[in-house]
Amino acid sequence: MASRKEQKEQARAARIAQEQEAAAKAQRTRRLQVFGGVIAIAVVVIVVVIALSVGGSKSTSGSSLTTDAKAKAAAAYVATELKNIPQSGTTLGSPSAKVTLTYFGDLQCPICADFTKGIGGGGLPQFIQNDVRHGKVKIVYRSFCTASCNNTSVSNPQQLFNTQQVAAYAAGKQNKFWNYAEIFYREQGTEGTPYVTSGYLSGIAQEIPGLNMSAWQSARKDQTLHTQVNTDNSVATTDGIQATPALVIKGPKGIQSLGAGILTYAQLEAGVKAVS
Amino acid sequence: MSAMAGPAEHQVGGAGSRPDRLMLAILIFTTIGFADAAYLTYVHYHGFSALACFGAHSGHSSCQTVQSSQWSELDGVPVALLGLIGYVGLYVSYLVAARVNAELGRAAAFGIALIGFGFSMYLTYREIFTIHAICEWCVGSAVCLTVLTVLTAVRYLRAGTAGT
Repeated sequence: MASRKEQKEQARAARIAQEQEAAAKAQRTRRLQVFGGVIAIAVVVIVVVIALSVGGSKSTSGSSLTTDAKAKAAAAYVATELKNIPQSGTTLGSPSAKVTLTYFGDLQCPICADFTKGIGGGGLPQFIQNDVRHGKVKIVYRSFCTASCNNTSVSNPQQLFNTQQVAAYAAGKQNKFWNYAEIFYREQGTEGTPYVTSGYLSGIAQEIPGLNMSAWQSARKDQTLHTQVNTDNSVATTDGIQATPALVIKGPKGIQSLGAGILTYAQLEAGVKAVS
Repeated sequence: MSAMAGPAEHQVGGAGSRPDRLMLAILIFTTIGFADAAYLTYVHYHGFSALACFGAHSGHSSCQTVQSSQWSELDGVPVALLGLIGYVGLYVSYLVAARVNAELGRAAAFGIALIGFGFSMYLTYREIFTIHAICEWCVGSAVCLTVLTVLTAVRYLRAGTAGT
């Protein structure tokens, strides 16, 4: 009797073990299926996100500059921002302003673009509206090759830098340098890519309301503008400038370097106070 | 089946049992990544002057270059903010695993980490081959997501064999 009872117990235990093993196997299979499903869903999500990212980058590239609605909106914004503010050459603001902010920049420099557009805390737009518009400060733009000279995607980076900066200075001959530079920064392509072409530079000029295109094209050949870009570069090097945007402020109480990078409106204001 | 659910539930760490080392490591890396993403999001909205960066690029910080590039936003939404939302999602999935449904929570954690890992690999590719600048903070988050993908996968699969 005891032997039969033991046999029954053993059989029961074996059956339970078998059932447990089968259940565990089924669960493992199900988990692996869910695991594969999660991977598949994640891959789809990643592909969609990357597609969105690539699509977004294409829409901001310079290739479709003149037809892009965003470009038109940028040009209109710049025209409003600079309306009724005096311009002369690369100077923005009243010639009689007691304080002068010198802005060393490179049109291909993305940090300059952020500072100019007010991204990342950049204080230039507010500074233009509060201090420059009211005749307190004038801004003088000077060229200094940074991002452009590091652009290895073009055969002669220095020459391209000169060409693009002169294109902006040529607009300055019609007192529209700042319109050109601001639009350039707003439609800037990806750093290190060959987006600055002849068509790109002309496209920006065409967006500036009231710019005489034939006069602008003639001014681009003006040797004095090429010399001015080279002189700006030399001045920057002599002054110890190493990055863009670099800002130097000068007023009745002296001259002060505000450093390089995206300066906030408060930092610019502190500079004005220090030299006023 | 129900006999197996017991030990698997306890492995979640937080459902009444002591947290296991794997879960502890996951929480540490999630917290590091969360802090990283929160910092980058703060910098995006409050100014790059707050951005501490060791690298230099084109005369300015390489982090600034990356953070101001067109790849720093996805359809107008800062990538750093998306990362932050992802880390919050991970915390939520841990809670779901501990309080609601262990398997669902663990699977969700793995899925979120994998999506974050994939996108951070893509962004790292862009940093190296398109922007030509490296942001240490972005790399830090990418490392966290890589580790989290492995750990959450192990956590999910290990729980599956726990009862055997």
